[in-house]
Amino acid sequence: MTTAHTSAGASTDETEVAVASSGLGPDAGPRTAPARTLWSRVTPLLEQYGLLILFLLMFFIFASFWDRPATFRSGANLRSVLGTYSVPGVLALAAIVPLVCGQFDLTVGSVAGLTALSTAAALTRFEYSLAVAVVLAVAIGLAVGLLNGYLVAYVGVNAFITTLGMASVIAGLITLYTNGDTIIIGDRTLGALGADNFLGIPMILYALAVVAIVVYYLLGHTPFGRYLHSIGSNPTAARLVGLDVRRLVMLSFVLSAVISAIAGVLLVARNGNANPQVGGQILTLPALAAAFLGATAIRPGRFNVVGTLLAVFFVAFALSGLNLNDVSQWITDFFTGAALVAAVALSTVIGRRRAGAS
Amino acid sequence: MAQLHGDAQGSAPALRVTSLSKTFPGTRALDDVSLEVQPGHIHALLGGNGSGKSTLIKVLAGVYHGDPGGEITVGTASAHSDKTSPQWARQAGLHFVHQNPGVFPTMTVAENMAIGRGFETTGIGSIKWRALKRRTAELLERFQIQATPDMPVGLLRPADRTMVAIARALQDQEGGHDGVLVLDEPTASLPASEVDVLLTALRRYAAAGQTIIFVTHRLDEVIAISDRVSVLRDGRHVATIDTEGKNEMDLVELIVGRALDRVFPEMPPVESEEAALEVRGLVAGPLRGVDFTLRKGEVLGIAGLLGSGRTELLKALFGAYPLAAGQVLLDGQPVRFKGVEQAMDAGIAYIPEDRAAEAAFLDMSLRENVSASQVRHYWRGLRHRHGAEGVDARRSITDYMVKAHSDQQPFGTLSGGNQQKVVLARWLRRRPKLLLLDEPTQGVDVNARAEIYGAVRRAVEEGTSVIVVTSDFEELSRVADRVIVLAHGRVVAQVAAPHIEPHRLTELAFASAGDTTRKVAAS
Ligand SMILES: Nc1ncnc2c1ncn2[C@@H]1O[C@H](COP(=O)(O)OP(=O)(O)OP(=O)(O)O)[C@@H](O)[C@H]1O
Ligand SMILES: [Mg+2]
Repeated sequence: MTTAHTSAGASTDETEVAVASSGLGPDAGPRTAPARTLWSRVTPLLEQYGLLILFLLMFFIFASFWDRPATFRSGANLRSVLGTYSVPGVLALAAIVPLVCGQFDLTVGSVAGLTALSTAAALTRFEYSLAVAVVLAVAIGLAVGLLNGYLVAYVGVNAFITTLGMASVIAGLITLYTNGDTIIIGDRTLGALGADNFLGIPMILYALAVVAIVVYYLLGHTPFGRYLHSIGSNPTAARLVGLDVRRLVMLSFVLSAVISAIAGVLLVARNGNANPQVGGQILTLPALAAAFLGATAIRPGRFNVVGTLLAVFFVAFALSGLNLNDVSQWITDFFTGAALVAAVALSTVIGRRRAGAS
Repeated sequence: MAQLHGDAQGSAPALRVTSLSKTFPGTRALDDVSLEVQPGHIHALLGGNGSGKSTLIKVLAGVYHGDPGGEITVGTASAHSDKTSPQWARQAGLHFVHQNPGVFPTMTVAENMAIGRGFETTGIGSIKWRALKRRTAELLERFQIQATPDMPVGLLRPADRTMVAIARALQDQEGGHDGVLVLDEPTASLPASEVDVLLTALRRYAAAGQTIIFVTHRLDEVIAISDRVSVLRDGRHVATIDTEGKNEMDLVELIVGRALDRVFPEMPPVESEEAALEVRGLVAGPLRGVDFTLRKGEVLGIAGLLGSGRTELLKALFGAYPLAAGQVLLDGQPVRFKGVEQAMDAGIAYIPEDRAAEAAFLDMSLRENVSASQVRHYWRGLRHRHGAEGVDARRSITDYMVKAHSDQQPFGTLSGGNQQKVVLARWLRRRPKLLLLDEPTQGVDVNARAEIYGAVRRAVEEGTSVIVVTSDFEELSRVADRVIVLAHGRVVAQVAAPHIEPHRLTELAFASAGDTTRKVAAS
């Protein structure tokens, strides 16, 4: 619904004071060129669906032209891409939770690496049940999240520094425990979750869907989500509408770390092993890139779940297409990095325009 | 000094705007506006909230591009309305001081001056401090600002801070006064005494030939210093008239489009003798033992100069500022809030003075802003009821006459006065027992000011007690049942209803306190 915009119209002429020398009267109707009005209507849509359009275009090109369009659009390739990028998808969702309230969490990949390892070790070296291994992973996530959150929210250490330091600490712990060795798992259930399909769709994609629904619900349909957005927008004002800003910021780190911990379990499932080389910045950077890229779509200027997933699979299919066409390996890092910088620049510009500033 | 003033008569206008329109998605902020400003004039730009004043200024400044078809002429320089840019504006001689003057409080006056034009450096890239200081001293002299180049700007009086911003904007104008100085609500956040200092300075600059355009909602200022007035209404230029011989009512009629019989609603007299709030020996920040009682349904005004602790007092009552000592009784019960949430649960609402820093969620929607104080209200059956929230938000838009094209409009794109109304609605819809208002009408137009106090009045009738802090003593005298005056961290005087007069309040606020509490006119 829009409030009607009554123009002064006739009442303008009722005033008894002499109207200024400049021509002004009933003829002062709309004068803008229609093209411009159309354009101003199209811009918001372009902003909202730009990434989706780009995604479809890119998909269409790889599926139709270049060297191996048939391979690209084959079920096997689609399943492989969807399956492989489910874990990065979960991590990107973990990253957006603190980002919504204006904080960086650079430990998402490290926590995933750590819990992948703890899960594999619990199953293989200690022969615990899968349930115990999962509980252990979540507990590790909780611990890291609480520590991060406490340092940022209550002690007041800059989030960037806190989580960067914590990521390094975790990397050290991983090397200490594994000595660089990969731990292979033999657990059937986990193996099936990583490799099997259900209704022709990789099981692990369902796991991503569950996480996505939970995060979507939390951020968009609960007071908690609204509170995080408010804090991200203006922490002082958030405090003055009665929010416990510190507790909420800490909770956002806890949530992010717990989701990352789950991503770690999924990572073991997908790979069938825990490799100490996989984790840390290798996983964190693409997750952040997707989060920022996602903030330019669907709800521009805001970190949002659908945009983030779109971003993850935009990058995923673009890389798959490029690799299939024998563009060499350097493109992976290059493309991810370029997408990150471009996305941050774009969402900054969009955010500024939405706030009416500039 | 005034040599330019004489031959200004009949010469070409200093600024001419022709057929300027500006369309935002969903809104036409300016609709075919044409106006002229004569050289050496102080030209007031008036209009209700959201009428397009700031938009006009931003187009002149090149912050926004106008729609194609219009033209802007400054002296001899001309530009199409969709082709303005900050560089063009600077070259054409337009100088701006936006509502937030953009000075850096912790840096010195000299550094603030240099930031506007770039630091002069020596061959090896170090700043020429000596030259900079000399230049700054000259500027301070030329603009008669009471400050030295080494003073941190934060220590200056508010009016001097605005004058530093003006001097910074005008510093490159060589000697003459060909340019136009544009000020967007320069006085909105200044206390009354500071307003006079600034207005005197503006009059002096104009007497020396400087053309000045300024936006304000305080009509007494317009009458006092302007030569001409242009009025915008709903984005259209309604009239340009000479100020001479006009009074505030004439202006109100032009702005609103009809006569306003009463700007402030009558407040019902307080009947209850029951105390809603008692404050005993409150010590916090600059406050050194404040005592007062607020009766049920009373509107208590607090007067005082800048730094007298008015804001801290309200914040302390709201649980947002630590109490060092003292007792607060709410409805006879001692309370000590650990945080804002507890104060809100006890029925207190606080509307802060600094909207941008303390109340606005600029990148969130109007809807999310207005419901920010009661998000939980919409949490039913395990989900957030976006629909119900929207319905309530649209009702608030109607009730508080907010000018917006949708409840989903980003808050930051609302005009200043409309933002203020949304913040007010955010708190009044909670039906608070105790309402704390800190400068509630800053940046708000005459009409909306009446609306805001109308809303406060309705709340009072429903049993809300109100404490209002404002630097506008005229306003205090109209709305308050009783006014207490703060100075040196204490209550130094109190004045009750029929005897509250603006000049008396000014006197009391300035009178050096610290001695005995004077009771002026009881009953
Ligand atoms: N960036 C924007 N996007 C959309 N609408 C905008 C934007 N900026 C301003 N508007 C709309 O344009 C209209 C005019 O706004 P403007 O800020 O010029 O009003 P104003 O006359 O300065 O009001 P006030 O006295 O309250 O400051 C308002 O309805 C406002 O909502
Ligand atoms: Mg404005």
